[in-house]
Amino acid sequence: MVCALGIEGSANKIGIGIIKDGEVLANVRRTYITPPGEGFLPKETAKHHREAILGLVQSSLKEAKLQPADLDVICYTKGPGMAPPLLVGAIVARTLSLLWAKPLLGVNHCIGHIEMGRLITGAQNPIVLYVSGGNTQVIAYSNQRYRIFGETIDIAVGNCLDRFARIIKLSNDPSPGYNIEQLAKKSNRYIKLPYVVKGMDVSFSGILSYIEDLAEPGKRQNKRKRQQEEEVTDYSQADLCYSLQETIFAMLVEITERAMAHCGSNEVLIVGGVGCNERLQEMMRIMCEERGGKLFATDERYCIDNGLMIAHAGAEMFRSGTRMPLEEAFVTQRFRTDEVLVSWRQD
Amino acid sequence: MMPKIANKPNESTIRVPFETPHLAEIAYKVLSVDQEPRRNFVQKTLSLDNDVLVVHFEADQVKNLRTAITSFFESLLLCQDTIKHFGGSGVPESSGDAGTQSSTDSA
Repeated sequence: MVCALGIEGSANKIGIGIIKDGEVLANVRRTYITPPGEGFLPKETAKHHREAILGLVQSSLKEAKLQPADLDVICYTKGPGMAPPLLVGAIVARTLSLLWAKPLLGVNHCIGHIEMGRLITGAQNPIVLYVSGGNTQVIAYSNQRYRIFGETIDIAVGNCLDRFARIIKLSNDPSPGYNIEQLAKKSNRYIKLPYVVKGMDVSFSGILSYIEDLAEPGKRQNKRKRQQEEEVTDYSQADLCYSLQETIFAMLVEITERAMAHCGSNEVLIVGGVGCNERLQEMMRIMCEERGGKLFATDERYCIDNGLMIAHAGAEMFRSGTRMPLEEAFVTQRFRTDEVLVSWRQD
Repeated sequence: MMPKIANKPNESTIRVPFETPHLAEIAYKVLSVDQEPRRNFVQKTLSLDNDVLVVHFEADQVKNLRTAITSFFESLLLCQDTIKHFGGSGVPESSGDAGTQSSTDSA
């Protein structure tokens, strides 16, 4: 019986979740939304989180109908992420842990996503595609580590989408990726974009520069003039959104398929904020079915950053005997998925 | 090792009283965890004086001193707010001052 409260605040979402033996008791979240054309900055995001976090802790306890005394462990996101927003969660977690005399555990954000996905979908030992605004990784479990098979060599896939949404001034509400997905549905005209897969790794920054030039021709003065192929110029924003999605998702499907072949796995689990994109899920499902495999995906409640995943991963760590002294309850911007010993899995 | 600080450092000491020595100790423990960034040339020392949290800063430049104190205050205020809000034994019924805005996402 482990009852855990989790605090997540590594990016522009601040979320609190409570879980008891795999049963979801509460999952509340607030998102910092910036005006179109603007991204979220560390300082402002931290301020947003500071103003929201205590109210969220209170409403999560209310939703779960629990008293602080009913909790076994307080969990928070230790990293990776932006330091100022991460620190907001860590300070509150430390204070609550001392006030309520409960153990404290720092959780790796990526591990949180993976464990939450496994819990919700029931996938046993899947190849995990973790795609969000800050991370792009293909992961497979082996010998008590989540090993990174392939990843981005520059920016994350979600970062590429978010920044393209800013260039064409799409709204950030509810999220830039969602609005790109909706706009992409209005087109089926493919504009050729660079396709950048390097072995098991992918790269998105060049694609972003390329499509930026298409969206705002002539903005960058000293760019090398492209050879005059039959230049298409009558494309719409919807065409660009469609083409961008098709290209980058195809890249992700390719490296995921290769990881499946390598590991002999027939399950794929998509987690992370970009994972709630239905077009990505559809493309991945087609690939899986062709191989006789199965796709597991979740909806926005569990895909997008949330406190529940931190609570769940923390509960698993706690159950397997992991403890953390207060002096180690700091935050770290860099914290790789494979640094964590997965002590709660024996397979 | 902390980098060398100029011969005459800029200093500041902040004394923050708490309701009880126990709460002061909680704040002390919570705020002691975070180290100053290595390259801002500020030394931060926390100590306890009964129910008062004492924080001492030494910096080579006033500018760095201000930065360190500003970010420390942000953490201190959040810790104090958390204590104020959840310091009692149970969950407070409702209080509007915890920055609770409208509704939450349907997460």
